[in-house]
Amino acid sequence: MKRLPEISPAEINVRGLVKRYHYRPVLNDLSLTINDGDFCVLVGANGAGKTTLLRVLASLVRADAGEIRIGNEIIPSNPRSRSNIGYVGHQPMFYQDLTAAENLRHYARLYQVKGTDQTIAESIQSAGLTGHQDKPVRTFSRGMQQRLSLARALLHQPIVLLFDEPYTGLDQEAARFLDAKLGELHSPGRAILLAAHRPQRLLTIASHIAWLKDGKISQHIPVDSLSQVPELNAYLQEVG
Amino acid sequence: MNPFLRYLKIILQIIRKDIQVEWRGRQGVPVMLVFSLLVVFLFNFALQLSPDLQAGLAAGLLWVSLAFASTLGLNRSVSLERESSALDGLLLAPADRSAIFFGKSLSNLLFTTLVALVLLPIFSLFYGQNLLNLSLIPIILLGLWAYTSLGTLLAALSIQARTRDVLLPVLLYPLALPILIAAVEASRTVLSGGTMEESRSWILILLACVILFNAAGLMFFETILEE
Repeated sequence: MKRLPEISPAEINVRGLVKRYHYRPVLNDLSLTINDGDFCVLVGANGAGKTTLLRVLASLVRADAGEIRIGNEIIPSNPRSRSNIGYVGHQPMFYQDLTAAENLRHYARLYQVKGTDQTIAESIQSAGLTGHQDKPVRTFSRGMQQRLSLARALLHQPIVLLFDEPYTGLDQEAARFLDAKLGELHSPGRAILLAAHRPQRLLTIASHIAWLKDGKISQHIPVDSLSQVPELNAYLQEVG
Repeated sequence: MNPFLRYLKIILQIIRKDIQVEWRGRQGVPVMLVFSLLVVFLFNFALQLSPDLQAGLAAGLLWVSLAFASTLGLNRSVSLERESSALDGLLLAPADRSAIFFGKSLSNLLFTTLVALVLLPIFSLFYGQNLLNLSLIPIILLGLWAYTSLGTLLAALSIQARTRDVLLPVLLYPLALPILIAAVEASRTVLSGGTMEESRSWILILLACVILFNAAGLMFFETILEE
């Protein structure tokens, strides 16, 4: 009898994560669980290790110790488990001389997405870039590149989404577009972890907030319990 | 899908993407070609060699110009992936990361071979040697394959360094010495009318280099790229 493929739960489980740069621990015995349907905003000062944590989870950086599970898979033991992850980093990860459609086609082929042309057309439309698909990415504004990055990260329908400071450099219109998209993406069957230095605008969309401090998650609470943690509340007021 | 087929498809996609980027930007092959032609012209006029000497030196000069051109191509290949962190996009692909090594090294080989194909007739004209010799083709292909495999490995190693532009040639030229010596000796034997059998030992060294550097890419590329 043919076995049905195992459906991986949209969860992130991190246990005892350690990452050092030049013997200095950036992440020090960090543990964190993001459950299916959670949208967690990761806050922390500059240099706290938010980017490092996201890059380790995306398997772009190797951890020195600890265990990371994305769904049922241990990262990074099985390369195929990377198809569960969608990552939007500081940089758009596009080839500037290629068009938007060509860049998406390249990624669709890397992820071996079926029905590539239709998927790309839908992604372009969903990113609000209809009419721009045949323009080189180098002609795009920061906001357009960010929308295309989001489309790229969603091409293969990942169950876990990782965002690293996605609002950086966006104007008000592009930021509102991202707000709306994140609101749509926050749904059961998906876990979202988003690092933000200034998270105020996300507190109405996100379900949880995690505070990265001294290499550990010092607080991880539902957004509506924020008032019960004065220290975190004060920090959020301070960063604005 | 068969995992091997999946792996092959990723290699092919990286090659296809590199060709597409090169076709759009035309920033790699034309620069490599102009640079290698300049090397040929400069050596020809600067050394003012007699025809006899030219024949003896042709193989060496050919490989010097190919090595310089290939190094330029390797630098371009690295900077392409660094631009907008496109390398991260490749690293996120759900396949063993050695596929990136094979994709990149084969596209580097393809571009350097294109340069060699244009260079050979021009070189023949300047140095009075018939380089359009069929026996030379496998030697050039093997030599370039070994050189670009090693170069891709070292380019990945230098990608994180601040001094990557100068680091690559500094690392590459000394380590590529066995490849260049074997390629020059094998080419010289063929160009001086010798048979492939006479250059067999040099060709075997080139083949060993191809196997060694591709095996190193297969085993260590992921470790090299990970921070």
